[in-house]
Amino acid sequence: MYEPTSKMDGSYDEIVSENPFFIELKNEFTNLFQHCISQSWIICVPRVGSLSTRLFTIEDFCAHILVPSDELPETHYNTLTEKQVTVINKVITIDLTKDLPLQSHILFEETFYTEDFMKYKVWCIESPLEPTTNTIINTITKEYLGSINDCIDLLWTQAAGRQVLEQIENSVQTFLKRHAPLPTAVAPLREAVSELYTQCLQHALQNRRLREKSKSCKQILENIKVSVESYMQQLLFDALFKPICTCCAYEDSHLNKKIRNLSDIQLRDLDIKKELFHAVPKAKEILSKIDSYNTILEKVLCLKQTLNMINEIDSTNNIVLLTADDLLPVFVFLVIKSGIPNWYSQLTYLKEFHFSGSTKGNGDESSFLITTLEAVIEHIRSGALSGPPDPESYYYESNLTEENLNNKQKRNSLTESISTSDINSKDETLDYIFELIKANHTEHIQNLLMRNQKHLETIKENENNVLNAVLDADLSSEDDSDSDSEIYQKLCHPLCNCRKCCSKISKNLLRTSPTVNSRDNHGFTALHVASIHGKASVIDILINLGAEIEAKDLNESTPLHYAASRGHQNALLLLLHSGANINQPNMDKNTPLHLCVNNGHLNCVKALIYFAEHSRKHININSGNDSGNTPLHMAAKWGYESIARLLIENGADPSLQNRSNKTAFDYAHNLNILQVLKSVTPNLFEYIHITNSDIQTLNCKTNKHDDCKARKRSLQNNDHNASKTVENLKTVERILKAISYGDVKLACFYMNIKYESYIDKDNNSIIMSECHPLCECQSCKLRSVTHTSFDVNFPDTNGFTALHYAAKFGFDELCHILLYNKANVNCFDKRGQTPLHMAAINNKSTVICCLLENGANINAMDLSGNTPLHYACEMGNIGACKILIKYKPDITMLNCAEKTALCIAKEKVHLTIIDLIEKFNQSL
Amino acid sequence: MSNNNTSSGYNLKVVLLGEGCVGKTSLLLRYIEDKFNDKHFSTLQATFLNKKININNKRINLAIWDTAGQEKFHALGPIYYRNSNGAILVYDITDEDSFVKVKNWVKELKKMLGSDIVLVIAGNKIDLEHERTVPLEEAESYAIMVGAKHCYTSAKLNQGVENLFLELTQQMIEKHDQTSQVGGSRTSRVLVVDDEIPVQSSCCSGSKSNH
Repeated sequence: MYEPTSKMDGSYDEIVSENPFFIELKNEFTNLFQHCISQSWIICVPRVGSLSTRLFTIEDFCAHILVPSDELPETHYNTLTEKQVTVINKVITIDLTKDLPLQSHILFEETFYTEDFMKYKVWCIESPLEPTTNTIINTITKEYLGSINDCIDLLWTQAAGRQVLEQIENSVQTFLKRHAPLPTAVAPLREAVSELYTQCLQHALQNRRLREKSKSCKQILENIKVSVESYMQQLLFDALFKPICTCCAYEDSHLNKKIRNLSDIQLRDLDIKKELFHAVPKAKEILSKIDSYNTILEKVLCLKQTLNMINEIDSTNNIVLLTADDLLPVFVFLVIKSGIPNWYSQLTYLKEFHFSGSTKGNGDESSFLITTLEAVIEHIRSGALSGPPDPESYYYESNLTEENLNNKQKRNSLTESISTSDINSKDETLDYIFELIKANHTEHIQNLLMRNQKHLETIKENENNVLNAVLDADLSSEDDSDSDSEIYQKLCHPLCNCRKCCSKISKNLLRTSPTVNSRDNHGFTALHVASIHGKASVIDILINLGAEIEAKDLNESTPLHYAASRGHQNALLLLLHSGANINQPNMDKNTPLHLCVNNGHLNCVKALIYFAEHSRKHININSGNDSGNTPLHMAAKWGYESIARLLIENGADPSLQNRSNKTAFDYAHNLNILQVLKSVTPNLFEYIHITNSDIQTLNCKTNKHDDCKARKRSLQNNDHNASKTVENLKTVERILKAISYGDVKLACFYMNIKYESYIDKDNNSIIMSECHPLCECQSCKLRSVTHTSFDVNFPDTNGFTALHYAAKFGFDELCHILLYNKANVNCFDKRGQTPLHMAAINNKSTVICCLLENGANINAMDLSGNTPLHYACEMGNIGACKILIKYKPDITMLNCAEKTALCIAKEKVHLTIIDLIEKFNQSL
Repeated sequence: MSNNNTSSGYNLKVVLLGEGCVGKTSLLLRYIEDKFNDKHFSTLQATFLNKKININNKRINLAIWDTAGQEKFHALGPIYYRNSNGAILVYDITDEDSFVKVKNWVKELKKMLGSDIVLVIAGNKIDLEHERTVPLEEAESYAIMVGAKHCYTSAKLNQGVENLFLELTQQMIEKHDQTSQVGGSRTSRVLVVDDEIPVQSSCCSGSKSNH
């Protein structure tokens, strides 16, 4: 009966008071019109363009005036021409002849108020309510856009050709070229894209057909705007969304952590109406597809469909009205369960890159949907959802606070005093113990469990020799706390056999007091519960009482799993120290490491890794779970940057594939994570991501291959040295930072070099060399004394030394100082580049001079086979080229793509440089 | 085209605020569908509804946003009421707490939006007049004090609902006309100006696109 439309409501609009049909009625048939108003009859106005004639008779108007019927005023009407009309779901059906009912959609309803506040309703309808001989002239007004294909269709058919689409394609292409790489801040990104949108829309409206059509109908103009925007977004999405994700990386990882920790949440936890339960799985399915859409139009429609799905008719065919009170909780649930790793980025995209809808004001439906999503995300982020829900709370619904507990105890003692015979009192159930654990009543738990254990032991003894026990009753009676002895005391006589005594004894035997290893129907032991709630002191007691550390619940999860997934570092360490298996998989083959990575608990990840390191246990950092995901997959997917880094540093392999053949790289949705994955293992990254173009550039001569290989080998050695001292690494990082800030003095300070002693005070310039090898003047002496103990050739993780940076930023004086302090002028970084490469790339002529004077290899090749001259040509650095050429480089050198420096200069059309090299060539 | 002027009508956003169970949704449904506790609503959701009205030839498109009344969602208020032209603050005349809640909302709205927003306070459920706990004078004098209109409504008996929205709309139009006279249009997100098109649409560009 009801079809949920996937279209936006109220997309059609026209100014009814300018509709010729309405004007005519109002002006020429005033009496009829006024009568309608006074009787609150409904006036139907066929939309503009649907009537072919401008000549109307009184019958025409009467056929469009609806009088509500007395019995069913909502759905049944009569026209003034005595025709019966029914209205269901905004469709008017009118039986003109017996076989052919005439139907018309109500496009919208408008309520008019006259000056004296009389009210009447006007329905703007799709087609006239009487048979017309003339066919409708234009049908395009009822064009709804439901997908990117609709948009392309519209631009294609309405413009009668592909020109507009092609123009948009070209604009996007040039945009991407001009803005490569795209800025990673939302504001400039948004501005750039909005400029592009304007440009694209101008292209579209320059098309004559589109322009004319959009002028004739406002609706078409709106649709053209949406189409242009959508097509642009479709083309732009891949390039655009990564930077957005990068901007939102922090927010997303924060949100993911919240969501992951709420992943056990159930519908009833959110007070969702039972009537809505049935639709949730389908709605979830729809919503989780949101990241497969590229355009905002489709993403918003996805939200809309989700909303429609929630209030679809339930199994009993009752329509459930969805109110705002229900909507938010359901959406919260759906977002938590959707498994989308970048909700915040999605939201930012929807909010900030939506340009076409602005004419509709800020209150239209799509903005409502986006706002709802924003509210949901904000709600989850705010942490208002009370922490991780307790899985066992579904079974025992009680919130035991300290106060509650005391009250209960009081009540218990009261009932006990009334009927002492009630042995299986409340404090004997496992639930009660679990509640005590939650409330952290350590002593109470200890006493209870110890007593129960004793009880079991005595029962065993009793079994062995009842008589003994009976005889011993007097002895053991000294122990007041022992409930068993109490019972024997209460018997008429130790050997009494009367009914009362028997029942007392059997009750005692029937007692099911929980012990430290009792389980509930979920398979939880007390230790599980204590780990879930992170009660370290309770865990301590339980372990001392002999609790089984590797106890598995129904999901085969051990207490360690729960401590890890809930992020309780203390509990986790306690369990580990008590011998819990660090690599234990649960039913889904998740290790504790998986769980704490998934939930974003950095502290637990650290604890696991460091514990393994110190206790010399092997932690399987690359283990895959049931779906083949390693912890690194999870960290990458949810955007936990620091965890990803930690895992990589401890040997996680980003190239491992899961069951769907995806690596961690595939899951990294923002550039920060990608960088973490790349930066620590650059060689590996290159190995994985060889594209066709890469293969072309790698297609180099064999001897060069060997050269490269040799370099790589030596690089690896370099790496090995680098990992020797973390302390040095940190210092190097500081030095490089100081240089990049231009603070040469600070850099020198870090390197233990006395900067002042290298500066000639008289002319404030650097002293290039010693006065004389044997000179004994003060400054020379000072320098020779203060030769630094720091190894200035120490590289950072990327192989950069201080000299690289000094060259890169053009500090020639620092270069001199470094070289004086025995810096290796031909050291290379991980890409095989020497300081000279750096200087050539960045056009630092004086530095080039300095380096070459100090023996830099002018023909040094990096891993891609480029010499400094190649780079200078590539970048168009004329100054650098001039200097380099002065030092007579080998201009016949080929890089891995088999190009000489001259070739590159020609490719880039740097005329001066081509000239320079050619001249040099001739002079040879 | 971009301005919400008379030719294309006013686009006004209204939020419904108030504690749960005061009848926000009922008011909205009564206004849009003219029904109360009915099983046959033609819309299946009552969270966002559009209403087109026309007062003295001024076209107004009301976008009415219902909000969740639960206390735990209170903090989300600003996300919903930003950019609103009007707010209807609903309380239950038989529930004093709900009136306190309205006062809190008023305070918050005044703080966040100043006088940009038109406020109407609605005392709902006047069909339960005999159970009234919020004194009539107190409510009305409070409304006057904060410069809000006060209405009595009953979604059940359909009293005052139409009037409530009509009053609000008229005030919003007034405010809107004032602000647009003083400071131009509030939203300046629109990029495309129609005027540009004829300039660029000389014969050559037309023929270019027809190549």
